[in-house]
Amino acid sequence: MTSTAGRGFRDLINRAGIGLALLGLVVFFSVTTEHFLTANNITNILTQITINLILGVGMTFVILIGGIDLSVGSIMAFAAVVAGKAMTLHGLGPAEAIMLATLAGLLAGVVCGLLNGFLSAYWAIPSFIITLGMLNIARGAALQVTDAQTIYAFPKEFSEFGSSLIAGVPVVFILALMLVAIAWFILNHTVLGRMIYGIGNNEEAVRLAGHSVFRYKMIAFTLCGLLSGIAAIVYMARLNIASPIAGIGFELNAIAAVIIGGTSLSGGRGSVIGTLMGAFIIGVLANGLILLGLSDFMRQMITGVVLIAAVLLDQFRARYGRAG
Amino acid sequence: MQIPAQIQNDTSSADAVLQVTGLKKYFGGVKALDGVDFSLLRGEVHALVGENGAGKSTLIRVLTGVHTFTEGTIVIGGAAFAPQSPQQAKARGVQVVHQELNLLSHLSVAENISIEALPRTRFGLYDRSEVRRRARVALDAIGLSDVDVDATVSTLGIAHCQLIEIARALQSDSAILILDEPTATLTDREKLRLFDIVGALATRGVTVVFVTHHLDEVFAICDRVTVFRNGKTIITQTISETSPAEVVRHMVGRELVQKASQRSPIPDEAPVALALDAFRVASSRSNAGATFDLRCGEILGLAGLVGAGRTELLRGIFGVDPVVSGTLKRDGVPVKFANPAQAIAAGLGFVTEDRKDEGLILSMPIAANTSLASMGLVARLGLLRHAKEAGMATAQGAKLQLKFGKISDAVSSLSGGNQQKVVLAKWLATAPRVLLLDEPTRGVDVGAKAEIYTILRDLADAGLAILVVSSELPELMTLCDRILVMAKNEIQGCVLPPDYSEENILKLAYRQS
Repeated sequence: MTSTAGRGFRDLINRAGIGLALLGLVVFFSVTTEHFLTANNITNILTQITINLILGVGMTFVILIGGIDLSVGSIMAFAAVVAGKAMTLHGLGPAEAIMLATLAGLLAGVVCGLLNGFLSAYWAIPSFIITLGMLNIARGAALQVTDAQTIYAFPKEFSEFGSSLIAGVPVVFILALMLVAIAWFILNHTVLGRMIYGIGNNEEAVRLAGHSVFRYKMIAFTLCGLLSGIAAIVYMARLNIASPIAGIGFELNAIAAVIIGGTSLSGGRGSVIGTLMGAFIIGVLANGLILLGLSDFMRQMITGVVLIAAVLLDQFRARYGRAG
Repeated sequence: MQIPAQIQNDTSSADAVLQVTGLKKYFGGVKALDGVDFSLLRGEVHALVGENGAGKSTLIRVLTGVHTFTEGTIVIGGAAFAPQSPQQAKARGVQVVHQELNLLSHLSVAENISIEALPRTRFGLYDRSEVRRRARVALDAIGLSDVDVDATVSTLGIAHCQLIEIARALQSDSAILILDEPTATLTDREKLRLFDIVGALATRGVTVVFVTHHLDEVFAICDRVTVFRNGKTIITQTISETSPAEVVRHMVGRELVQKASQRSPIPDEAPVALALDAFRVASSRSNAGATFDLRCGEILGLAGLVGAGRTELLRGIFGVDPVVSGTLKRDGVPVKFANPAQAIAAGLGFVTEDRKDEGLILSMPIAANTSLASMGLVARLGLLRHAKEAGMATAQGAKLQLKFGKISDAVSSLSGGNQQKVVLAKWLATAPRVLLLDEPTRGVDVGAKAEIYTILRDLADAGLAILVVSSELPELMTLCDRILVMAKNEIQGCVLPPDYSEENILKLAYRQS
């Protein structure tokens, strides 16, 4: 009985640990800096973490299933220029242009994700390799399509969506939160979610229970591509441009958010709520450290330390879990 | 145990290159070796036989310096021998070729042969020509002049790889060469070549220790045989003075095996749930394939040695591994399962051998594991109904007398026996008509074993057709209405309850009738 109680307590620490860390950071920066806890700055942070959060949600599916997606930054850029091209087609009204562009951007993301999933699942090639290839393919395609030029001059209704606030909260952040909620629901209340966790833990057991592992891997990568497409639309709405060199290195930030959020890189264990926390920690650190007057270089170093600390913690937890 | 006088003389003769006396090896409280006495003569081929777990592998690990021993003495060439590492064992001339080969598949044959001590030129650089020369000498020494020293190992067949390992082992002056299950993966022709090489080595004065499950090989090439049982050596006999039947008797021991409780036999007119005809899986080395019927209400046992193809057969039936030929009939209707989903749809369930790797998702809850093969019953339109799932798991758990804390606890929190019950629950939730079980009580304590037997009997009485693969013969004899014996991917024969004995089953398993 004591062991069950002990385990329950450890569970609580494990789950709350990441939230406590975030809370600690918020308190620390609120005390040490003048501007951290102001409405303006909070709006800033929420805006800054939105894209990483959306990419992180997609990445959570892929990492939970035991894969990795290095191509989300490139797919985002590719989806953005496809959407940008569609939006700047001649003879479209603003509403039509926005609708068409959104559909085109999402479709571009879905196609890239589908390819990632098919290639890695069908031939059982590590997704690291396939998505490393896709990182280059999508980036090259984005540059090719645009001739390396940035696309701009979008309808003003579009950029209004990107910058509008509801009670000081960016609409795009609310969108990202909704995506987190949907992902949480999928992971916890659908057969798809159950299979994603199952495959990440023990692919063979799932296969022998009569399920198509191939199909669920495809779905996970496709969802990740779709979310890259959504991130592309949000990015365009915020900056009012579509650049083929957008999103370079974003895949690494998304992976960092997932890992800091406590999801195991070997799959099967973790949650999208963790990813939300992870994205917040990265965003709060970035913002607070600069307010403290540290250089961006220092910020980068500290973010790296936090990432490694999170993985060490994860290892520790995994060992602890086995022992208990 | 009485030992023929002649052998006793041999062991004390000056010809003994190795003498083991009273050797014991304990792992904590487990007595892996509990009194091993035997000797090796110069230039003999000496077989070590015994059932799985009899102690052969532990002895090899002790002799090759992987494990140290607890008690006893080993003498090699007149001096005590207690290797602390594989290097020390090799230095004293004891070499082993393991069942799993240890070659670097992307390097050349020559590089593999010299890998333990790569020669250098006087400038300290890698000496390619010396490596090639040494390889040529080593290969020629065992009659492998047809093998190119520059060939990449991955381009060679398994038989050649094994021979290359032998060549590598013999390039230093090995006095004793241990071959661990060397024929497990060889074809008949490759075997003959290996036997030729072994014979030639023995005439050169090398002592070859031959560990095998195949008595026909023992009687084909060995001079003497030592039988192991329960960590002890039972007897050493000269091959010309014994017979396969006698060796089997020594392996099994004389204790009488409990008879199964007498049951009325399954009537011949009971419907056939599953019929195999010349059924061959991709890994099968038999041309005839497996043929048998499994009847409703019957528990059919499938006995055989490791490597007989039992697990592969189950995987083939269940649509996990590809089937190359033959027919499978379910309730008289020919079926082909392309994947487990189709097998499940046809009413099959498959309790796999390894519940940790294949059967369970250990870190997930009991409820999630129970519903894994029947998601359709606990979900609607892709949405999980957690309450329904918990209800299903609780009901199955109650039927199987599963002992657990909460249905949402991870399966890893359960004991081995209860974990196995969760695997059973998973398949019973699919309401199967045919249940395939591979080693259903491995790692399960005695009490839970008896419970699982009762569960399986109740299921059979309810009309399920049950096929059980097990390496524990007492288990099969307790549980089954009939026992089929498999060897070399074929059914060698059927043993009925009146004839149940380990001896009768093993005779068929070793193809000695």
